[in-house]
Amino acid sequence: MDVSPFSAGPGSPGGSPGTGSRPVTITRVTESQWLALDDNEELGRGDVSHRPDGRMFVSVDSWQADVFDRLAAAMAAELPGPLHAVVHEDDLDTRAAWERAGFAVARREREYVVPTDPRITGLDAVPPPPDVTVVPLGRAQEGPLRALHRAVRAEVGATVGWETMPAEVLPRPDGVTVVDPSKYAVAEVSGHYVGLVRVVPRRHEARIGLVAVLAEQRRRGVARALLADVLGALHRAGVTAAWAEVDESNIGAARLIEGLGGQRRGGILELVRR
Amino acid sequence: MPKTSNGIEIEGIVTECLRNATFTVELQNGHKVLAHISGKIRKNYIKILPQDRVLVELSPYDLTRGRILYRYRT
Repeated sequence: MDVSPFSAGPGSPGGSPGTGSRPVTITRVTESQWLALDDNEELGRGDVSHRPDGRMFVSVDSWQADVFDRLAAAMAAELPGPLHAVVHEDDLDTRAAWERAGFAVARREREYVVPTDPRITGLDAVPPPPDVTVVPLGRAQEGPLRALHRAVRAEVGATVGWETMPAEVLPRPDGVTVVDPSKYAVAEVSGHYVGLVRVVPRRHEARIGLVAVLAEQRRRGVARALLADVLGALHRAGVTAAWAEVDESNIGAARLIEGLGGQRRGGILELVRR
Repeated sequence: MPKTSNGIEIEGIVTECLRNATFTVELQNGHKVLAHISGKIRKNYIKILPQDRVLVELSPYDLTRGRILYRYRT
């Protein structure tokens, strides 16, 4: 799609000027990419991607606010709604740009940094439920782990829905429910896996991607037992902190993380244009 | 398809995470820039941490500012 040249004043993240009187053309170059061009020079780009759950997420990158607006408008005009976008809560310029394009905040995800030292988390002071055994990171049997992951997905899908979950645990095509079994620790009760935690260590920090316990086993300390094992192992390996994201509406998860000494470090906003 | 971008792309190491969703990145040439995460990276929930090796596109309007386009695997 081509649009006519436009003029705009200054203003964009970083104080970059607007395009002034320069002619800008917005062109969809592939099914998933748009470019803002001035005589073959790229002034901005937009992308759309489809999540496995069917939702469409868009992004725009430009140094000029007016180019951002044109790209966002062109994409919104060509794509079926609803459209989703993600911004950091502190990124006020980008949030404002999406709001100009008709997007509104639909969901907030809090980012936490959780200490791994048991003297801070207090996790070594609370014994796990007597019938719960934690299978450490990377040692779970793959078949039962995949079965548990499918069961967790089914429960989440039937209750709060996957739109409230982090992107990395969204449903995937059949048979690919666990991409890398080595990143999981599980809780076992009477020979059955009932809870899992997904952790990705990275240098001095790690990322907790998912903590999930089957509904019938909740509110008995299984998640705490899993986190005690995983965070303790990270601490012994020299990893001092772990990142976690929690949906703002998930009060229980936020209480759990904050109870371990987790400190807020900003948040992610998901915006939707319906 | 046009290939030209008006940005200069250069590798660097993230040295600091700042509070306002920006990062200090030390470039291969020793210069430090203030960089934010590209929309494409943000959209994919990719986490940027200190010591990450990244590809930065410098602003054509201010060479002390940039946009993180890619995080290399460690």
